[in-house]
Amino acid sequence: MKEALKVGVSGVRGVVGDSFTPQVAASFAQAFGTFVGRGAVVVARDTRPSGAMIERAVVAGLQSVGCKPILAGVVPSPTALILTKALGARGGIVITASHNPSPWNALKFVERTGLFLSETRAQELFDIYHQQDFPLVPESDIPAAAVETEPMETHFQRVLDYVNADLIRKKSFKVAVDCCNGVGALHTVPFLERLLGCKVVPVFDKPSGFFEREPEPLPENLRQLCETVVKEKCDLGFAQDPDGDRLAIVNEKGEPIGEDLTLAFAIQQVLSHHSQGPVAINLCTSRSVELAARQCGSEVVRTKIGEINVCETMLKIGAVVGGENIGGVIIPAIHPCRDSYAGMAIVLEHLAMSGKTVSELRAAIPRFFLVKDKIRIRGEQAPVILRALRQEFAGEKMNLLDGVYIDFGESWVHVRRSNTEPVIRITAESPSQDEARRLVSGTRAKVESAI
Amino acid sequence: MRTLRVSSFGIRGFVGESLAPKVLIDFASAFATFAEGRRVLIGRDTRYSSPMIHSAVVSGLLSAGCEVIDFGICPTPIVQFSVVPMKAAGALSISGGHNPMGWNALTLIGSDGSLLSPLGGENVLDVFHAGDFRKEDWQHMGTVLNASDFTAPYFDALEKHIHVDAIRKAGFTVLIDPVGGAGCSFLEPFAARFGFSLVPINAQPSGYLAREAEPRPRSALQMASIIQRLGGHVGFVLSSDMGRMSLVTEDGEPASEEYTFAVIADHVLGRRAGTIVANCCTTRAIDDIARRRNSTVVKTPVGQAYVVSALMDEQGILGGEGSGSVALPGFSRAFDGFLMMALVLEAMAEKGKPLSEMIRGLPHYHIVKRRVLCDSRKGYRALEVLRGRLEKRGDGHADLTDGIRVDWEDGWVHARVSQTEQMIRVISEARNRAVAEQRAEETSRVIEQEV
Repeated sequence: MKEALKVGVSGVRGVVGDSFTPQVAASFAQAFGTFVGRGAVVVARDTRPSGAMIERAVVAGLQSVGCKPILAGVVPSPTALILTKALGARGGIVITASHNPSPWNALKFVERTGLFLSETRAQELFDIYHQQDFPLVPESDIPAAAVETEPMETHFQRVLDYVNADLIRKKSFKVAVDCCNGVGALHTVPFLERLLGCKVVPVFDKPSGFFEREPEPLPENLRQLCETVVKEKCDLGFAQDPDGDRLAIVNEKGEPIGEDLTLAFAIQQVLSHHSQGPVAINLCTSRSVELAARQCGSEVVRTKIGEINVCETMLKIGAVVGGENIGGVIIPAIHPCRDSYAGMAIVLEHLAMSGKTVSELRAAIPRFFLVKDKIRIRGEQAPVILRALRQEFAGEKMNLLDGVYIDFGESWVHVRRSNTEPVIRITAESPSQDEARRLVSGTRAKVESAI
Repeated sequence: MRTLRVSSFGIRGFVGESLAPKVLIDFASAFATFAEGRRVLIGRDTRYSSPMIHSAVVSGLLSAGCEVIDFGICPTPIVQFSVVPMKAAGALSISGGHNPMGWNALTLIGSDGSLLSPLGGENVLDVFHAGDFRKEDWQHMGTVLNASDFTAPYFDALEKHIHVDAIRKAGFTVLIDPVGGAGCSFLEPFAARFGFSLVPINAQPSGYLAREAEPRPRSALQMASIIQRLGGHVGFVLSSDMGRMSLVTEDGEPASEEYTFAVIADHVLGRRAGTIVANCCTTRAIDDIARRRNSTVVKTPVGQAYVVSALMDEQGILGGEGSGSVALPGFSRAFDGFLMMALVLEAMAEKGKPLSEMIRGLPHYHIVKRRVLCDSRKGYRALEVLRGRLEKRGDGHADLTDGIRVDWEDGWVHARVSQTEQMIRVISEARNRAVAEQRAEETSRVIEQEV
């Protein structure tokens, strides 16, 4: 086996044809069906070529323990979460490896509340899985699968109910969209054209699962989108990841503004025109996002990294908007999940109400410089390194929710262990690029001396 | 737990106990490994568990890169027939067949359309036991295509072997009961092609069994009670997979399932003498008919795979079993309900005699079938004891082709461990009913003492 199966809070991931087999998928579906109890379970997938194979294994697994699969088909992850809650289903299984490369696929598990499983709930599920003793139902109790014929309706209606769609339609924005050959290739053009009155120029819009660019919507992966914005004289460009939960923006000059800024725009618009209230963002989100929220008079709470962690904090403190630095906009009034469709609508509303261009809006937000680095380690070295850093920075303002986060006022540095690779990630941000670089290299030296 | 029966031509088990998604995916994966990821046909019946099994099996085939041609709900003999014209590497059929509700089975079919031979089947079993399955990567996942237009070529071929005009001219009214199984939606085209007026019974596709699925007098009572009032010339009672059939005469008598093969053998051998193949516990009427028609009988172990394989090796002209099954080698390599119905109608039309009279003209034996419940381990030991006892009783020669058979001048007794259920089946046949009953009773008692 080249790549081991990865079982963690974000679900079960593996390489298809290697560790991620239909047997594994069926067993996890049985464990999940046992976990949530007999009843309806939403099954959704992204465009990966292995999705159809895994979907069948999941369906069989669910039926064998008496759960009725509701097939949502190829839809964005946020749509599956919204559908699970709206249908009153027992839970949901989303078949997507999100921004991982094509060879990967994964199962992600959804609570009846429409949230992904929390860490403790995920542990309970894995406990059931490892016992491999699933209560199978007799033949006469096997439920037939059902197909959800209008899976997008509830999701899109929620978004339209939240924003001022008439105002957006009046502007007839011209938008370039990079769907990354993912779920957006099926749903984003109709969303923007039919529902929000945009003129759309799509890029990578074959829903093939063969990703023609790197799947993360990072600035360096969006060259084709940037060129299209310039050539077609678009008002802006949107880039999605393969399962449609993350969103990055390209300005009218064809420059990516960075995924952090998607969140800043959304926060400004929600706080100024929808509702006032606290904001939750993860630890490594840019200080510029935090400042954008504070300018609107909101309290900002930092959370652990990971969608479910941000969502749980948001629900606890009653946050009105928030998200993750990777372009994950969360507006709980629509649904507590990362949602690129909510993101697109709120950003277009921001443009429509302000009458400004993307670059003008960007200029009004303080600029910070982010520098990232990573060091390959052996797994067992991580706690040693983090302990050493805690001692080194003992006098500083520290947040230990997720690794070590040191707050120097205008600058910060964050050191954490990756959930997916044997590496230590160092991230620093500062109003000065030199200062950010200095923070990273200084911290790197401290990590290396600890090894 | 009712155990899983794994054999070289398939896997059979009880849903909710042994027949679970993982073992089905394993078995389908083993078959796909044997088929080297090439084209595989798949069909299923209407049992409540069949869609679940279908999903699991297709998922296993896709993970191995197979090109799956999906026949949906389709009789097993039609799937078998289609393997050669569709140039498939093999096929899988999912059906509860003649078993009660709760049972289901996955049958493996080779590239020649017959059930997998013991040799091919052992290859599949080796892969199954080793768990070393063919797995394709994400770029080489299998595909699923819905089969279309497979009914016409099948009936075209069948018509070539039957005097359709004679049947058409006779103007028969025919009652057919497919037990809500895979045959339901094929009855009307069949009737239209072969020119009889159809009275369907239990012909709404359903997982609920309105009667016992095993064709025999006991399950033909519904039909027997109404056939005269409906003016029916003949009634056909079939299993869920359309592989077995018993007859009801025009005067409302349900005939023993043993007569299906006998009526057809007498008809086919009447046109042309040759070799026929039967299993070792088929009625002795078959031997008498063959003798009368200057033909020979080759005996095999019980099961379609053995009968059909001998039929090919011996260049026989007809094969069948006393359970109500017939195969015609020039047409296909399957026990086939449509073939059996067509041949019986042809015999009636050509001879111009009612079915009751045809049956009266056949050699007459009384056949008694008993079952002794026991698990298979005890069963094999009990048969050893029985062998010792019986060898001293009969003509001194026990046949061990399959289980144990002892012959007397006026009859025989056969005992065998069921391959589908936890029991020993005892069959006793004699010219005199009391003798047949007595021998069955004695044999059952010996076994009962042992288990």
